[in-house]
Amino acid sequence: MSSLVTLDPGEQIDFTYLRDLLKLTDGNLGAHLAKLENIGYIRIEKTFVARKPRTFISATGKGRDAFDAHVAALEQILKGSQE
Amino acid sequence: MQVSQEDARESLAAVKSVSDQTRKVVAASYASGLLILWGLIWVVGFASVHFYPRRAVYIFNTLNVIGFVATVLIFCRWPRKAATKVPASERLFWRICGFWLLLFAYALLWIVLFKPADGMQICTFTCTLAMFGYVVLGLWLGSYFMLWLGLAVTALTFFGHYVLPSYFFLWMSAAGGGALLGTGLYIRVRWR
Repeated sequence: MSSLVTLDPGEQIDFTYLRDLLKLTDGNLGAHLAKLENIGYIRIEKTFVARKPRTFISATGKGRDAFDAHVAALEQILKGSQE
Repeated sequence: MQVSQEDARESLAAVKSVSDQTRKVVAASYASGLLILWGLIWVVGFASVHFYPRRAVYIFNTLNVIGFVATVLIFCRWPRKAATKVPASERLFWRICGFWLLLFAYALLWIVLFKPADGMQICTFTCTLAMFGYVVLGLWLGSYFMLWLGLAVTALTFFGHYVLPSYFFLWMSAAGGGALLGTGLYIRVRWR
């Protein structure tokens, strides 16, 4: 999610780049993405570019909000330790 | 589930690391080819102008045509190679308009302030104008390497203009062209 949230809203990342970036296998990444898609955090678009199939993934607004809340909660835990 | 402070620190570090890596991968997919191309053009063009100053216009007209055609080819292949896809939107349209408007404003300000007339001044003007484009794109895309590269090459250009006027074109070949080419190669090798 942190990778997808880094992109601009609406911007989609290619599956193979994401797989290489996260150093995961096709199956492993596919399983993670399927779970995130089922709860509405990401959108997956399968398309053809120059007659080759490609898969693009983007974070939804709901996914971005959930991720921001997650990061805020982690920061709160750290802040708590400093007070 | 209880999350310890150590776990939180590690998770935030992982988030930052993946975020930085994503920016680099995206930048590498679109920028490295163009940087290598224009770095080579600067290296060859400025070095040639240093040794054959009377042919400067012919040299750069030829190289700019080659560069333009190669850039168009890179853009045509872009959808096949790019890491990301940005859907056309009104926001994107206004950003592109803003980019060109800023470039135009910079050019106008430069011309009014410095009134470039001779070959070296015009060269300094065009190089810093191109680098201003890098700075704006760097800020727009959140791509700090483009921002710093633009600022660094602008500083190198002014340094060559004021400190090494006799070797200005050779300096631009090595420092300016070298910086673009070196960055392009570094990104291609290390950020993928």
